[in-house]
Amino acid sequence: MAHQAHAYHMVDPSPWPLTGAIAALLMTSGLAVWFHFHSTTLMTLGLILLLLTMHQWWRDIIREGTFQGHHTPPVQKGLRYGMILFITSEVFFFLGFFWAFYHSSLAPTPELGGCWPPTGITPLDPFEVPLLNTAVLLASGVTVTWTHHSIMEGERKQAIQSLTLTILLGLYFTALQAMEYYEAPFTIADGVYGSTFFVATGFHGLHVIIGSTFLAVCLLRQIQYHFTSEHHFGFEAAAWYWHFVDVVWLFLYVSIYWWGS
Amino acid sequence: MFRAALRLSVSGARSLTRSRPQYTASVAARSYSHGKQETDEEFDARWVTYFSKPDIDAWELRKGMNTLIGYDLVPEPKILEAALRACRRLNDLASAIRILEAVKDKSGPHKEIYPYVLQELQPTLNELGIPTPEELGIDKA
Repeated sequence: MAHQAHAYHMVDPSPWPLTGAIAALLMTSGLAVWFHFHSTTLMTLGLILLLLTMHQWWRDIIREGTFQGHHTPPVQKGLRYGMILFITSEVFFFLGFFWAFYHSSLAPTPELGGCWPPTGITPLDPFEVPLLNTAVLLASGVTVTWTHHSIMEGERKQAIQSLTLTILLGLYFTALQAMEYYEAPFTIADGVYGSTFFVATGFHGLHVIIGSTFLAVCLLRQIQYHFTSEHHFGFEAAAWYWHFVDVVWLFLYVSIYWWGS
Repeated sequence: MFRAALRLSVSGARSLTRSRPQYTASVAARSYSHGKQETDEEFDARWVTYFSKPDIDAWELRKGMNTLIGYDLVPEPKILEAALRACRRLNDLASAIRILEAVKDKSGPHKEIYPYVLQELQPTLNELGIPTPEELGIDKA
């Protein structure tokens, strides 16, 4: 039986990068078709293919790591670097939107009334739901840390409970934010205020949903005994992502909700 | 002027030689526990210098005005004059008139400040051809 003489993971050929690329193509061209020909078929097809790709690709990684033992320490180190670099790229993504916000708000143009918030805009009270949202995310940062320690200490039940609580807090944030969006006295079309507000907080909300989903997958894996007290990188990656989402919110809250009001 | 003098004595003004309301004193109202405190004159001079920059750009004008209006004070007429001249250099009449609206807004309940400031700025307003919101009929929105 042939063995590799190194600790690295030479992955088997996989169709998922191709299906992922095809999904990207179908979604983008589908978007154009939707805009011009009022048909959402192509885009929906792309979306379904994307979901299938993600499910199967990550399922395969779990198989390779948890069940086949390919995630040796050097491999795990590579995965850590990968997650850190990805989160860093997301930081730059949000940096752009903060740049846009400060560009427009530090020196508001005469078209806005020379002031920020612009004339006619009633901003949300930062000490109402936005403050609650801040508390919710901060609390979820505590509960996810509790989960980590529980996993490391082999406390199965506590890990499941605290992770469930973390996810519930994430869902609570999403629900509150959705309600705020519905009730807000301004829309995305309300000048540069509306644009910066909804694009920045909107992408953040999307990341909360992504993060919550990642944590939910970890919850299912924890229930199915995938994690050990020494090796649970999938969870760590999810926790890092969750903390990143929390930090982005804090910047959003201070800049847009509080200073920007 | 009479009314101003009466109000001065009622509010126990520091100096009756000043023929203007006391509330326009531009105190940089930061109550630090230590460190050198900027005087009113230094504050005013700093802002006059800021707006007097010959090649001030539109961004700097807008930023300066927003920062200045963010303070807990009504800017001295000399600062406002420098800002209005900056608007002239930048061909921005809209912002010049907006500055007058901002002064009225910053005065809050002290209704005598705005007419006083307009009075002080009248020569500049005439020279630069800046109408007041009242003259344009846009003060009652």
